[in-house]
Amino acid sequence: MAIRESFHSQLDSVKDHLLEMGTRVEGVIDQMILAFASSDTGNMERIIQDDYLINQLEVGMHDQVTRLISRQQPVATDLRKLIVALKISSDLERVADLVVDIAKQSKRMKKDSLLPYQVKIVAMFTIAQEMIHKSLLSYRKTDLMLAQKIATMDDKVDSLYGELIRELFKLNEDHIEIDQITQLAFIGRYIERIADYATNLAEWVVYEVNGKHFDLN
Amino acid sequence: MMALSQKVNVEYNQNGGSVENPVLDKKVVYDTKDLNLWYGKDHALKNINLAIYEKEVTAIIGPSGCGKSTYIKTLNRMVQLVPSVRISGEISYRGKSILDKSYQVEDLRTRVGMVFQKPNPFPKSIYDNVAYGPRIHGIKNKKILDQIVEKSLRGAAIWDEVKERLHENAYGLSGGQQQRLCIARCLAIEPDVILMDEPTSALDPKSTLKVEELIQELKKEYSIIIVTHNMQQAARISDKTAFFLNGEVVEYDQTDVIFSNPSDKRTEDYITGRFG
Repeated sequence: MAIRESFHSQLDSVKDHLLEMGTRVEGVIDQMILAFASSDTGNMERIIQDDYLINQLEVGMHDQVTRLISRQQPVATDLRKLIVALKISSDLERVADLVVDIAKQSKRMKKDSLLPYQVKIVAMFTIAQEMIHKSLLSYRKTDLMLAQKIATMDDKVDSLYGELIRELFKLNEDHIEIDQITQLAFIGRYIERIADYATNLAEWVVYEVNGKHFDLN
Repeated sequence: MMALSQKVNVEYNQNGGSVENPVLDKKVVYDTKDLNLWYGKDHALKNINLAIYEKEVTAIIGPSGCGKSTYIKTLNRMVQLVPSVRISGEISYRGKSILDKSYQVEDLRTRVGMVFQKPNPFPKSIYDNVAYGPRIHGIKNKKILDQIVEKSLRGAAIWDEVKERLHENAYGLSGGQQQRLCIARCLAIEPDVILMDEPTSALDPKSTLKVEELIQELKKEYSIIIVTHNMQQAARISDKTAFFLNGEVVEYDQTDVIFSNPSDKRTEDYITGRFG
């Protein structure tokens, strides 16, 4: 059998494309945090409008992986690399969708109702952003130690989300309109889900290397 | 090396027959222990330890010259036709040592059939090819021979294609049909094990598919050991896979494990095409 150099360089290119997609998703999160902190509805709208670009990257990744599987019949690590690329691209696409959901909810928020919770939500969002960044870094470097650290960060996001929800429960309509409370709760929930997806990404890195599923939560 | 025989507890009772395997609930057909083989000074097989189970397909893979064909030819002692061969260690078939001189090679080959890389029908009719073995074993009754021929041809999934032309020369068949005829010839002596040495490497994709489908059917009744260069074939049809390299068994495990998450890096590198 000939050594499959060209196939293995195609596998490298799948990884490169996925990391490009990851960089774009990180960029969207970054823009969203800035837009949220400054209540910049113009930027929020741009995030909503540009989401199709990330969807296209996911479709492209699916096409590339499907072609390689059908033409090269990969096995073992090579097959896992492709399966993991598919899973991570789907997870990243979902993360971008959640950012869009946050943008839509945030646009409906009144500045006054947002203000008391802005710091906490930005703090949560920043941790979730760092989790995505580190998961992608662990994927880039195949760094299992880093992948395993993501779980502890997820605990922090969960605890901040719990605090936010408890605070919102205590509010009544004298202080804030009920629909604003709901929007805030949704925003918190979406950020918490982004952190969960970051943990998923890290789990896929572990699976790619070991061939075993490992629940980091 | 992660030999499957180390993971499961292979035991024999006092009569030499294999006992139920406690882990896999299958009996051992062939048990190879510390097998070494030399062609003159060339050490072709090194400390082979393999337990092969009944009614399964066991695939043997590895690069050219790794010893895989030599190994299956030791299982019916064909390898001893090479004058310079020297063997140490033990191979037991159904609990009895086949390397023991008291073991009649004719008995062994009645129990263990073989199919080769290139179809090799005799220059006789389709019928006579299949009836050849039973006739050698003294069966002369036409009715019985007819039954054996039909059953064997049906077993090899070729009956419908040849039933109208049983007395035509076998050389008139296509390559794929000839190979299935050779399998039918093998089935006619009702073997226990079928050894296959790259049985589809000379066949076109359609015939290959038919033989692969046939192997899946045959394993319900027979134990099959197949040497193949085609790793996708090993992945598709076998229950267990042994990876040979430089005369050694690097890894032997369930085919699912070998092709999804092998333990040894050399196996991984071979099946993913990083060498070979």
